[in-house]
Amino acid sequence: MSKTASETPGIEVGELLARADAGDPLLVLDVRNDDEFESWRLEARRPLDTLHVPYFHFLENAEECAGRLPRDREIVVLCAQGGSSAMVVDVLREAGVAARNVAGGMVAYGAFLQPVRIPLDAADGAGWEIWQVNRRGKGCLSYVVRAGREAVVVDASRDVSWYEHFVRGLGASIVRVLDTHVHADHVSGGPPLAARASAPYFVDAGAGFELRHAVRALADGEALKLGGDPSATVAIRVMATPGHTPGSTSYLVGRRHLISGDTLFTTSVGRPDLGGHVREWGTALFHTLRERLGALSPDTVVLPAHYAGHAEIGQDGVVARRLGDLRRAVPELEIADEGAFVDAMQRALTTPPAAYDEIIRANLGLAPVEPDRATEWELGKNQCAAATMPARA
Amino acid sequence: MERKQLDVRGTKCPVPIVRAKKEIDVMRAGDVLEVLATDPGSVSDFQGWAKTSKLATLKEQRTEKDETGRAVYVHVLERKP
Repeated sequence: MSKTASETPGIEVGELLARADAGDPLLVLDVRNDDEFESWRLEARRPLDTLHVPYFHFLENAEECAGRLPRDREIVVLCAQGGSSAMVVDVLREAGVAARNVAGGMVAYGAFLQPVRIPLDAADGAGWEIWQVNRRGKGCLSYVVRAGREAVVVDASRDVSWYEHFVRGLGASIVRVLDTHVHADHVSGGPPLAARASAPYFVDAGAGFELRHAVRALADGEALKLGGDPSATVAIRVMATPGHTPGSTSYLVGRRHLISGDTLFTTSVGRPDLGGHVREWGTALFHTLRERLGALSPDTVVLPAHYAGHAEIGQDGVVARRLGDLRRAVPELEIADEGAFVDAMQRALTTPPAAYDEIIRANLGLAPVEPDRATEWELGKNQCAAATMPARA
Repeated sequence: MERKQLDVRGTKCPVPIVRAKKEIDVMRAGDVLEVLATDPGSVSDFQGWAKTSKLATLKEQRTEKDETGRAVYVHVLERKP
């Protein structure tokens, strides 16, 4: 199988997404089983043409399956990890249909990171930049803030060498690693990234949680100066924003860019139930949104840790929204009564994926991370938002 | 009637199904094949394959633990007439 599969070059996830985003008329042949196909699909910024035929159909009836495929379209074959799709590429070739294998399948899609530079204007100052690193398959967003030759990484995914390579490419080195909270949907790259860079790491787990990772504590309101050189500095202000978790922290970069974690997204708010204390954490979230974020300028650019769908990616490729716009668009922000807000949160809840408990334990440092297990835990999109009501555009 | 075990622990898809199909193809009606797999995706894959297969029926699926605590998915198949 692998002998013949190597004759046709595969297509990398990055190339596939770039072409699909640009409207290239590819046909995605998804050969995973029904359950996997129903729970998580490849998405691009434009609608994708997808045909779903599980790979075992090709084993039983190759001719008939091949006959269902068009001959005048470029076909890419996708499965969970790239093995079954490679086999289908071979079966198709024998039937005279050309196709390419998506290298690494949905696992590679779920790990793929795409950096996008956030547009700044003259009033933001010169000599620094923020990159939003979009983990497209999971809808996870991490950030690299660079000033001069210093960089801070926020909410790093597990692929720490990607961040090291990226920061080197910016001509900087990592001087601090931050997490906005103890993530539940993905294994944090923060602790290993900090260790490898010999940089301090910070996350606030909140009272009552045992955190075994070494952290350099930061206080609410503290300002971290980045850049060293006065002509290229930016301050990152630490803001305690409890609710999604009791230790949730947001970071205000410069005067108006808020790395908001799972406190506030571009269409909803973070779910406050993952610790099993929905009323208590929901109450904290209500006060965070109204009082702490309420005190910020409407021009604040909210940079969340997640998004739910590709429609949230703007024309410039960035997932971000002005706080003033969010106050009108996110229904939860309009609820003025604490009890009504908590009730709305409680109604919105869905059962979180089973793996979330194991991911939280790993991110607290209570259990070791085995790469294969972590890959299994991380399958699928994040489910970190409380979807109470549809947001308005 | 024969009862056979196929150990595909450690392999990823499509190997468990491809190897099980190879065995089933040469078995006789009523013969039973017990497949031991560690790929969690194999649970849905065997269900889906059994629905399309002309020769295999899925009689039972269960999860066991091996000596290292790793989950082993056991798929019990019967060869159709």
